[in-house]
Parts: sequence; C-alpha cells; structure tokens
Amino acid sequence: MSDKASNTSTPETPGNKAAGRILIVEDEAHLAQGLLFNLQAEGHQVTVAGDGESALDWLLEKREPFDAVLLDVMLPGIDGFAVAHAMREAQNYTPVLMLTARGRPEDVLEGFAAGTDDYLQKPFELSILLARLKGLLRRTQWLRQPSVLEQPKGKQDESADVYIFADKTIDFSLLELRAGDKHIRLTLMETDLLRHLVSNPGRAISRSEILEQVWHLHEDTDTRAIDNFIVRLRRYLEDDPAHPVHLQTVRGVGYRFVPEIEVDK
Amino acid sequence: MHFTRRRGTIAFFITLGACLVALAIALNVGWVILNWRKIVPLVLGIFFFGILIAGVVLNTIFLVREIRRNERHDSFLNAVTHELKTPIASIRLYLETLQRRDLSEEKRQEFYRIMLDDSDRLLATVEQVLKAGEVGQRSLDDVSIRVDMKMMVEECISVVALRNHLPPEALKFFNETANTPTVVLGNPEDLRAAVMNVLDNAVKYSPKGPQVRVHICVEHDAWVVLRVTDNGIGISNVHLKRIFKRFYRVPSMAVLRAKGTGLGLFLVRTIARQHGGDASAASEGEGRGATITLKLPRLLQP
Repeated sequence: MSDKASNTSTPETPGNKAAGRILIVEDEAHLAQGLLFNLQAEGHQVTVAGDGESALDWLLEKREPFDAVLLDVMLPGIDGFAVAHAMREAQNYTPVLMLTARGRPEDVLEGFAAGTDDYLQKPFELSILLARLKGLLRRTQWLRQPSVLEQPKGKQDESADVYIFADKTIDFSLLELRAGDKHIRLTLMETDLLRHLVSNPGRAISRSEILEQVWHLHEDTDTRAIDNFIVRLRRYLEDDPAHPVHLQTVRGVGYRFVPEIEVDK
Repeated sequence: MHFTRRRGTIAFFITLGACLVALAIALNVGWVILNWRKIVPLVLGIFFFGILIAGVVLNTIFLVREIRRNERHDSFLNAVTHELKTPIASIRLYLETLQRRDLSEEKRQEFYRIMLDDSDRLLATVEQVLKAGEVGQRSLDDVSIRVDMKMMVEECISVVALRNHLPPEALKFFNETANTPTVVLGNPEDLRAAVMNVLDNAVKYSPKGPQVRVHICVEHDAWVVLRVTDNGIGISNVHLKRIFKRFYRVPSMAVLRAKGTGLGLFLVRTIARQHGGDASAASEGEGRGATITLKLPRLLQP
C-alpha cells in the first residue's frame, strides 16, 4: 500500500475544456484505481493519495494547485473530516467532494461543518459522481477568471448577487465574505445557510428548518452539528464571536439573523 | 470528534463516581467522629456507609463498562457498513466503467479480476457476521463429527495462499505431530471458520510481505494445538486479552489500516471454547509479530 500511496499521472486525452487537476484521497486500492481510470478517461490530471497524511502533504506542504478534491471519509489515521478541516484552516479553499459510506445526516453535517462543498454516498453512480465533479470544477474556473472577479466590484449594488449589512458584504456568486479589507472564502454550504438567514432577517429560524430547507435533510438529525456550523459563521461575521450581535441564538428555537446592530437609545 | 466526546463521557462518570465516593468517605469519617462514644450508631453508620460506597463504586464500573460496550458496538456498525459498502461501491464502479467505456481486452480482464476480489471480500464479511450471530446460539451437539485438523489446516493454508495471491513460501506448514492422529470431534464448518480466521489475520496484519509459520502438534496426548506465527504488526501487551472480545479492534493506525469488523478473533475463541478448547494470543510487542494459539481437545479413540 505504502508504495502506492501517491502517484501522479498525466491525462491520456488532453484538450478537454472542463479538465482539471484532481486529488483522489481514498485508501481502498480498488476504488482509487477505478476512480483514477475514469477521471483520466475524462481527461483530468489525477493524483491519488492513500491516506490523510499524504493528502495533506500534497495540499498543504507541496501546495499542488488542485482544482478539486475527492475525499473519502473513513481513512486510517487522519480521517476525511480532519483533512477538510485542516485544509480550510490553512486557507486552502479547493472544492471538496466528500465520499462517505455511512450516509447518516450527522455525518453529512459534520462534513459540511468541516468545510466540504458536496457529498456523495457510497456506493455512488459514476455518472452522478462525474456530474458533481464537473459542477465543482466549473465553480473553480469561475473563481479563477480575473475578469469575473473584477467586474462586479464596480457595480455590485445593482446586478451582482450580494448582500450588504453593517460593514460586511456577502457575495453569493463569488462565495466570498468581505469585511473591511478581509476577504473570507465560503463553502457552498456556508453560502446556502447564510443566504437563508439573511433573507429572513429578524425571524427566528429553527434548526430543523435549516436542515430541511437549506440542506434538504429530512431525517431526525442530531442538530448539534448545526451549532458547530453557526460557531464558524460567527467567526466570519462577528467582530466578537463570543458575543454575537448579527447571528443571535434564540433559546429553545434556533437562530436569528439581525442585520443592524441595535443602538441603545 | 465522536471519539473525544465519548472519552469525555467516560471521564465525567469516573470523576462523578470518585467525587461521590470521596463525599461518602468524608461523611463516614464525620459520623465516626460525632458518634465515637456510642457503639450502635457507630457500627450501623460504618456498615451503611460501606454499602453506599460499594454501591457507588459498582455503579461507576458498570457505567464505564456500558459506555465502552456501546463504543465497540458503534465502531462495529461503522466497520460493517464500510466493509459492506466499499466492495459494492467498487464492483458498481467497475461495472459502470465496463458499460460506459471502450476498453482493451487486457483492461477488461483486470477489471473482472478486481470485481471477483471484491465479491470475495463482500462474501467473507457477510459470512463472518452471520457466523458470529449463529455461533452464540448453537450448542455443540447440533453437528458433531470427526474432523482431522491436520488435513483441514493444510487445506485452509492453500485456500488463504490462493486468495491472497501469495507464494508458497509465505505460508509454511510444520507438522510436529509425529503421525499421532489429530482428530477432533466437532462442527467442521465452525472449526474451518476458526482456522481460516486465524490464518487470514496473520496475512492481513503482516503488511510487509507475510511470513507465516503454522505449527500443529499434540500436547500431553490430549490436545491438538495449532500455533500460527506471523511477522506482522504485533500486539502490545495491554490489548492481548481484549482482542478476543466481540467487536474489539486495537485502536492503532497499523490495525485500522487493515479493514475488519472486530469479529474474527471473537469467533475463534467462541468456537474453540464450544469445542472444549481455548484460544490465546502472544506477542513480543508492536511491530514484532504475533502468535495465535488454538487448542482443541483430541479425540482419544478415533
């Protein structure tokens, strides 16, 4: 296994427009080999990492510019959640598609909370996997195009999909939060949750509403995972995350978004 | 993350238990100081406080055990889910690949081989889980026939070598019985499952090219003893006994790298005990290989 822990390959059929550099993090040799074969056949440039350590080595030490990461959750040693978490912590915002065998809502939420962008349950359909991956790659491409990045800034109040409150700007199309000169990249899941919160200002939103309407999870879920999520969003949004003013807790219900700080009269 | 949360629960209950015991002891001492002149309340007090303290200690032990058991059960569910879904995911992926793409004959054959391996793995997991459910309920009297262990072990060795694509020198068989018959009375299916599990483990936990030595001998004329020694990752002293527990897996990187359900050695010991024998493990420590010994009562008049 160790000799196969990582190997890079070049695509056999280059020239595919949507092709990208993809890192597969999967410890099951057969699955990794099958994924490698298929992604190469799609024209991608693929690297395989056999465990969390070598994945982080590629991503954070060697700083390979991957366009997307296919991340298995159950890895020996550092698991997939921890890999995603470490990536985001190190401000690596490469889109992550999580592959999980145990598709309980709690696991999915934990993955989102760790900073993954999308998830797929094993066993998966190849066509769906390829479609999801294409979606993530498209997003990376948008973000990398400087023209798109520059344009909306001039006329962001009118046409761009942004929300401005206090001294902060949430840019939904760029998946970015701007506070002063700070630019914080958001994952898809964080953006979806924020959009739901800011489009219902002042209203208390229950945890189950977040589960059902934002992430389309219907089962009885351990809602504490949402709390972890909110903690993270507060770190982005609040000047003092310990005393939130915008993302308030409503005891016994859930959360409320308050755009403006109420000034004592 | 789940891990730390549960560790936290155990720590909490142990602390709570310790605090309650300390409180009870303090009250007991107070009682003794207050009542040291009056013999009846003194004796009664010490007696009842003793009961209270014992109760709290027992309760704490029970709680910690239950939490541990729950933990094992949870990790078993995780492992089985993973062990069932991974081969299915793999087979499905290769089938879709075959369906979707134009492949060379060589690639095709390679994919067929991989899918066969995966279906073997799937079957092995299913059989092990079913066996573990079965073994607990059955008594030995159900099926009990004469089984020649020497022959069975030799057969199992060749199956394991074939399944893992190993050269013959990786699994060496040493017959030390000096032609004494090695017949055991029992359920051949179960005995085979036990031997296969021991051999499979030896190969599975020897990631750097297994060198497995299988010794069979007769001890004191009454026991057929099978010793399987590998050059694998070994077992540290603390875990030597626990590895036979149901669902237990040593929480080390080297073990978790090899997939498993935590049922194998539990099955081995349960089957051995049902046949009137036992199973034990020995190891010089992590990274230094391990020996699993399977001891079964020999049938004296074959």
